[in-house]
Amino acid sequence: MKEKMTIVLGLGIVILVIITLGFYLIANETIEFFEIASILIIVVLVSSSSYIIWDRVKNLKAGLPTQDERVKIAGYKAGYYGFIAAIWSAVGSNLGHIMLFDQELRGGLVTAAVVLISGLVFMGSFLYFSRKG
Amino acid sequence: MRTRIKEFRAKYDLTQEDLAKKVGVRRETILFIEKGKYNPSLNLAHKIAMELKTTIDELFIFEDFI
Repeated sequence: MKEKMTIVLGLGIVILVIITLGFYLIANETIEFFEIASILIIVVLVSSSSYIIWDRVKNLKAGLPTQDERVKIAGYKAGYYGFIAAIWSAVGSNLGHIMLFDQELRGGLVTAAVVLISGLVFMGSFLYFSRKG
Repeated sequence: MRTRIKEFRAKYDLTQEDLAKKVGVRRETILFIEKGKYNPSLNLAHKIAMELKTTIDELFIFEDFI
């Protein structure tokens, strides 16, 4: 029951993110380079989340657990890398912007960079560790 | 670490999926244990040994200690 709830919740979030992204794209007439990069990261995150959900559904249908000790360890490792990425992106995004454009990055954009980069690192390392073994 | 899981599975005519269902893990976990890419917890190693009607010592070969 808990496993099914997790899958339904994950699917709901994925659908909501896609709808939000759709509204954002319709509302914006011009899209800047940084926005394209953010949208691409979101698309990667949504696709990888969908893949993980599909994989869990496949296991559930086969009568196997969606998570086991190996996947949990992969999640812990990925969480660690995601956390490190969050810290470095908080420092690095602002520092990089100052070095490149000689001005500080707005607070909201730093938050966006932290969320997107740490999310990307978490997802990438989770998929890597759960596939590599 | 090497394992003899594949050999014991063949003995009892079990697929990786059958064994995974019996011990409550994903099929890939059995695959990675067989390949020596993942070291299972003592609890899981015990469960696998019980399902394959053998002991942990028989199933897992710790080459470093030989």
